[in-house]
Amino acid sequence: MSKLSHEPMLEMFIFETAQLLEQLEQVIINSEKISSYTEHNINEVFRIMHTIKGSSAMMLFNSIASLAHSMEDLFYFIRENKPQKIDFTELTDLILEGADFIQTELVEIENGREATADSCLLIEKIKVFLGDLKKINQISDQSCKNNEKAETIKQQQYYIGSDSFAPIPAKKMFKAVVYFEEGCQMENVRAFTVLHNLKDLVSNLHYFPSNIVEDDSTEEIIRVDGFKVFFSTEYSLEIIREILMDTIFLKHLELEELVGAEELIEFEKNQQAKLRETQSPEIKMIEREQDLEAHSKSLNQSIISVSVSKLDTLMDLVGEMVIAEAMVVQNPDLRGLELDNFQKAARQLNKITSEMQDMVMSIRMVPLSATFHKMHRITRDMCKKLDKEVKLEIIGEETEVDKNIIEHISDPLMHLVRNALDHGIEPTEDRLAKGKPKSGTITIEAKNAGSDVLIIIKDDGKGLDRDGILKRAKENDLLYRSEEDMSDGEVFNLILLPGFSTKESVSEFSGRGVGMDVVSKNIETIGGSVSVDSVQDGGTTITLKIPLTLAIIDGMNIKVGKSRYTIPTASIKESFRPEENDIITDPQGNEMIMVRGECYPILRLHELYNVETKITNFIEGIIIMVEQDTKNLCVFADELLGQQQVVVKTLPDYIRQLKTVKGLAGCTLLGDGSISLILDAGGLFNL
Amino acid sequence: MKKVLIVDDAAFMRLSLKNILEKNGHQVIGEAENGKVGIMRYRELNPDVVTLDITMPEMDGLTALKEIKKIDNNAKVIIVSAMGQEGFVREAIMYGAKSFIVKPFSEEHVLKVLNSI
Repeated sequence: MSKLSHEPMLEMFIFETAQLLEQLEQVIINSEKISSYTEHNINEVFRIMHTIKGSSAMMLFNSIASLAHSMEDLFYFIRENKPQKIDFTELTDLILEGADFIQTELVEIENGREATADSCLLIEKIKVFLGDLKKINQISDQSCKNNEKAETIKQQQYYIGSDSFAPIPAKKMFKAVVYFEEGCQMENVRAFTVLHNLKDLVSNLHYFPSNIVEDDSTEEIIRVDGFKVFFSTEYSLEIIREILMDTIFLKHLELEELVGAEELIEFEKNQQAKLRETQSPEIKMIEREQDLEAHSKSLNQSIISVSVSKLDTLMDLVGEMVIAEAMVVQNPDLRGLELDNFQKAARQLNKITSEMQDMVMSIRMVPLSATFHKMHRITRDMCKKLDKEVKLEIIGEETEVDKNIIEHISDPLMHLVRNALDHGIEPTEDRLAKGKPKSGTITIEAKNAGSDVLIIIKDDGKGLDRDGILKRAKENDLLYRSEEDMSDGEVFNLILLPGFSTKESVSEFSGRGVGMDVVSKNIETIGGSVSVDSVQDGGTTITLKIPLTLAIIDGMNIKVGKSRYTIPTASIKESFRPEENDIITDPQGNEMIMVRGECYPILRLHELYNVETKITNFIEGIIIMVEQDTKNLCVFADELLGQQQVVVKTLPDYIRQLKTVKGLAGCTLLGDGSISLILDAGGLFNL
Repeated sequence: MKKVLIVDDAAFMRLSLKNILEKNGHQVIGEAENGKVGIMRYRELNPDVVTLDITMPEMDGLTALKEIKKIDNNAKVIIVSAMGQEGFVREAIMYGAKSFIVKPFSEEHVLKVLNSI
């Protein structure tokens, strides 16, 4: 994906932030569904924003950091004050907008560009929203402050309450002024640390500024004037100095013994007065703990993240190993030798390599859930724009497919969901008129089927218009057969052809000139297929059939002349030697074969690829019947060489750019070192 | 050389800290993504120093700090926190955290804090 190789830190930042954004979107969408934010969800958003703020500040992406900060503030306010009146839709829009901003910046960063966009406008918007929120809920800044105060005051009591107002014994009195290093931050908390370290050794402890606990702006005073502490103790000056010198980020320490302690007495009075005033310690620590327990049920797995490029390399290496194994075990030098021990060892090797392959495959498997959940957002946005009510249901999101494949199905899926929303589901009035439930349903389902995964997108909208499709197909000259002969399925599948689009008007979401043919192209590039089914007023179902993985397939090796070809075993139906009288030739010269009463076209590989071979008579060679989407074709070759797992390599560029060589999916190396071309069953039909 | 356990929910932060520490001859013997795991790792690894983030899922830093202190009252814990969390940091200090680092942190700050305890 990335064009530049990143530093690991940057890579980690991008990866993690992207993940957090996904989580965020999930939380937001879930919250919107129940049209309120639970305490847990508010905490989640707060935490996510907090983490993004921290990380992006470390990476010096300031626009992201400040945006995250303002969202964190907003949710902090919501969490602490629990305002009753919140415009949830606006809040959701705001947060999603923020998430989008960060997302866009991430993409910029990932592509090695500067993240330059300005988040000020958005931050301003969030601030205004927060301000309004305070206004309509009549919570002034003052009262929030009070809330915070209530919390800190208890701590103060906890701290001072121990022994500071004990009667003054005859001890020495000291005054210390502590200066911290510049830029060490949170000086008031550091000052607090100083107090904390002293408290067991000294009594009668007073300090200035006295409100370091309540007021974080005191850090400015401490930064400039230092932190002044007064106390009495029986320990000597040296010991106290030693303790104070241990302070981290200490720049300078002034320590002196006091004789006339007027300053001190003044202090004490203030302190006591203050303490009397504030006796309302209602703190909600318990609540937080409960909250934590409530969502501590998620799994405790230990997981490491590895960059995809490493996995790709590992995959390639395992592929090479499979080839190398074949080269050793099927080495021509071994032909005709009786090698019991060698065979035993070879079997062991074979077992291990295939286990390794399985393992590498399973590492690369990623559940579809993230891809599916993106659809929630699309559904939400589109429903708002189109003023439709649609429920999105997801089934089987835990189904796993190869990482490479996931990248290829995200766009088609999005397109299909958009189509369903825009063209499929009717406007609410129409639905009610037809006696359908008011809100439409779109179901996305994934399930395993052998070595394939099926992804089914189903809507309960108006369905496809058979006549409309036929009319449009005729206009665009896409009909390959007479109208009457075509089954419903065949008619519906016409919409997958290039240059077909039934929607007259182009809307914002779907139909930007790219149609279903792009979906089907995308799916075909990863070796999958698309099929369409529809019922008038009952809805449309689109099924994507996708292979589990791309890199290693089971193949049947065949020979034509001196060339080798591999046909994926999955698409082979049967192979057989034909009888002379099964062969039929029609008046146009098309050759066909009769198998159990059915007639199938024959494709001569040697003619297709101009290969010289002695075997041109059908009965001398072998027929392999391949199947693709319920269509069958018989491929004619010289002989079968055997079945083997092969590693799919892409064709070299100079062959692909020619675009005149058709029907190939890739190539592979065989055990004897020769190159075999992998036939693409789907491609063979379109010749 | 100190043996350090890093507890932070952000993998990015863990990596940043780890880079800084390992570059300067300290050893990161473990990482944990929340307080709960942090406590488990603490029991297993018995590190010299623990760095604790405050805002984490499952179990936050303060709770984890209290638990760790229960296991070993002399445990050396450094709080890693962002601006705006002063209240929590104070609380942590009272519960016995040795010091704290403010995010975003610099290499110099981290080392200074680590070397001082």
